[in-house]
Amino acid sequence: MPGGLTLYALDAPVTGKRQVARGMFVIGMRAPEIAATVHAGQFVNLGWAGGPLLRRPFSVYRAEGEEIEVVLKAVGAGTSQMLAMEVGDRLSCLGPLGRGFDFSGGARDAVLVSGGLGVAPMLLAARDARAARMRVTWVHGARTAAELCAEKDGDSVVWATDDGSQGIRGTAVAAAPDAELVIACGPNRMLAAAAGRWPNAQVAVETYMGCGTGVCLGCAVPLQRGGYDRACTEGPVYRAADIDWTALPSHLSYAVVA
Amino acid sequence: MSVDTSVAVGAMNLRGPVLAASGTFGYGTEVPLLERRALGAMVSKGIFLRPREGTAPPRIAETPSGMLNAIGLQGPGADGLVRDYAPLWAEWDFPVLVNINGESASEYGELTARLDGVPGIAGFEINISCPNVEQGGMFFGNDPRAAAAVTEAVRKRTKLPVWVKLTPMVSDIGVIARAVESAGADALCAINTFVGMSIDLNAYRPRLSFRTGGLSGPAIRPLAVHLAHQAARAVHIPVIGIGGIARVEDALEFLVAGCSAVQVGTATFVNPKAIAEVHDGIASFLEARGFKSLAELPRYLPRD
Repeated sequence: MPGGLTLYALDAPVTGKRQVARGMFVIGMRAPEIAATVHAGQFVNLGWAGGPLLRRPFSVYRAEGEEIEVVLKAVGAGTSQMLAMEVGDRLSCLGPLGRGFDFSGGARDAVLVSGGLGVAPMLLAARDARAARMRVTWVHGARTAAELCAEKDGDSVVWATDDGSQGIRGTAVAAAPDAELVIACGPNRMLAAAAGRWPNAQVAVETYMGCGTGVCLGCAVPLQRGGYDRACTEGPVYRAADIDWTALPSHLSYAVVA
Repeated sequence: MSVDTSVAVGAMNLRGPVLAASGTFGYGTEVPLLERRALGAMVSKGIFLRPREGTAPPRIAETPSGMLNAIGLQGPGADGLVRDYAPLWAEWDFPVLVNINGESASEYGELTARLDGVPGIAGFEINISCPNVEQGGMFFGNDPRAAAAVTEAVRKRTKLPVWVKLTPMVSDIGVIARAVESAGADALCAINTFVGMSIDLNAYRPRLSFRTGGLSGPAIRPLAVHLAHQAARAVHIPVIGIGGIARVEDALEFLVAGCSAVQVGTATFVNPKAIAEVHDGIASFLEARGFKSLAELPRYLPRD
């Protein structure tokens, strides 16, 4: 799977911010070296002056020209600080990190299944799938219509909401068609369901993360064959059936820290 | 003009006073972007004789100005270390010490015997202070007799430098420091993490699966400066200061408080260049103050 051989630590000025769903925002930053090299599913680890001690990992949402974008919700003090930033404020941007999705298998079609913030790697996934000559189906789910990310990219698009307020009532996993390549990202509970339906799906998991560079062993992912590896280095993309979903925390709880 | 930042820690001469702390630098192959010229030495991730899986996630939790970790000393065991990492270390231009762990004094001794003489291994840091293992670890570090027994078991198996990493979870660190000094330690590393706990208010249970974890980062720095100072006052062997060092001023506090060198840990997670920045900052500080060498730095170390 694609993974960066070169890592950059960039002083990245914020270039803009926009809202894409209720409580969900996209922040852009100037990071030319990362924009030029990032693969879908890879992430950056962001820090800033006056921010929390540890950096925060974000999937790269879009990479164009000299800019990258990440998508976030205000879930704690750190993300609230990020959302308060203005154009020109500086982020310290470390990346690209991790191994991204693999589009080299020769599949003719791909379905990109995301729930909530799991939309984060999907724009790049659509780009890379199309570059590999695949037909792309975009499937995105949320609790309710207002929480669906307004931005999308696919030859066909399927919406799913828990309350039926837009698209199919139910989960994104249930709403998605089959395809030769399935890519999924979202809450770990959703990914466990995806693993049940598509053992060979490529899923990007979310874990707590310390360093993001493979040193601290904090982002342990329990494996079916036993033992753990690192979401930041061997992951965050895994073959769905390779993860021991019963041992992976299903919900991350972000405490308020400053 | 260039300032001499070299230091002698016992019989071991280091080209600089800033070392990579165990568990924050892996096996030396992982941390990107670090300028290795700045490394005085590296202490490798803690190892047991046999491979260990480590603890279940969640393993880390951020707290104000700090982080809790309960990794559980995941690692490949002595054979894996000797096969995969020591040959690399043998080529490097700075010494690598191995952080060693065991569930009994004899296991520490057995591990030392297995690693002693392996090219690439320049010394040992005895971990009697890890809070994240069910057996051994911190148990040895808060009892002077047990701490001395482990130190002796290691000392008997090697002529290489033996450092002992102390736990802060004691009522008098000087007692432990003197016990391991008498047992043959060449230097002390003070301190390892504090035991802490944080609660997930959504789940009504601890945020770490191990329940507790080791607290590190700037949150513990003043506590660590004090304990390193107390240890240094108590013994005549060198003390290496550890605890929340992220910037040059932090390292200088430990050095002035009586430490011979320092280890940078959690800061490397945040800033892969932290060790180089601290090292270069020390040289700049000494030069700006008109000192020709680190040895000229004034120390505050009244003797007990």
